[in-house]
Amino acid sequence: MLASFLEWLSNTQFSTFMRESTWAEPIVESIHVLTLTLFLGFAVMLDMRLLGVTLKRRRMSEVLAQFNPWLFAGFAVMIVTGVLLFCGDPVSFYNTHPPFFKIKMIMLVLAGLNVLIFNATIGRKVAEWDLSPSTPGAAKVAGVVSIVLWVLIVAAGRAIAYVLPPP
Amino acid sequence: MLKSLLLEFCRWCNNSWWGHGIRDSTWLFPFVEIFHLIGLGILGGTILILNLRLMRLAFRSESTAELAGEVRPWMLGSLAVMLLSGFLLFSTEAVKMYGNWAFQFKMLFLLLAIIYTFTVHRKITLADDGRFGAAVRIFVATVSLLLWTGVGLGGRALGYVTTSVNSVSDLLR
Repeated sequence: MLASFLEWLSNTQFSTFMRESTWAEPIVESIHVLTLTLFLGFAVMLDMRLLGVTLKRRRMSEVLAQFNPWLFAGFAVMIVTGVLLFCGDPVSFYNTHPPFFKIKMIMLVLAGLNVLIFNATIGRKVAEWDLSPSTPGAAKVAGVVSIVLWVLIVAAGRAIAYVLPPP
Repeated sequence: MLKSLLLEFCRWCNNSWWGHGIRDSTWLFPFVEIFHLIGLGILGGTILILNLRLMRLAFRSESTAELAGEVRPWMLGSLAVMLLSGFLLFSTEAVKMYGNWAFQFKMLFLLLAIIYTFTVHRKITLADDGRFGAAVRIFVATVSLLLWTGVGLGGRALGYVTTSVNSVSDLLR
């Protein structure tokens, strides 16, 4: 099922365009990489607030409210450009060996779960620890998990480019 | 005179033990590259945060100077990581880079961006918020964003201008 979908996708006009155009891939990939500044950079600074390292004098709820729109925007650009790159050669991406692509996708899901769990638990009670000098243990765990996952996601993403067949 | 000195420097890097070591290893080049990418995220992120604040587009509950104080250690730390990892990557093909227009472009913008960040940009971000008008702040932030974007685009272009001498991809396949 999945294999035939990937096969179909790689034969679409759009996929062929991404593969054959001289400029499409470099432009999309450059946007993907440079958006790390908006996404990874902001995520790390927010995680550092969760760990109680930076922006300690600011309310956690305020920091979250200020960072979230930018993080969403950065994430959206990452997803869109990432999907476009994937469309260029879906079969090869899916079957990279070692399976860096699959590892990256699993870690992306885990990073999403980390956000959902945070929002459902300690994040819901943010008013209770908004200005406390030391953030709660659960918030620290969420921050560490986030940093570790995003660093590994970047590493896996870079590794994919090494194991994809050359165009 | 300067040109031959630069070329001499590139040769020296190329023949250094670390240049050899990273070039000859399967894993060291990608390993150092990942530090360069993480550094890019944090350096670019902190620069964006400061410039968005200067332009009053975000983080307005904090004064610019206060925010600058918070993010500055991260900015300087990640800049150090980027310079060191970048130097190591450069050393694996320094002589090739000498003649690479994208690399020359990147280094020119890097030099300008660093000088700008530690002079004009630093002065404006550390000043009290009322001291400079909106037009000055937006102008200063825009120049900073343009200079650093130039560095980033030059870095992206490098990879397309030269094919890496490193044969990691072949070894892995």
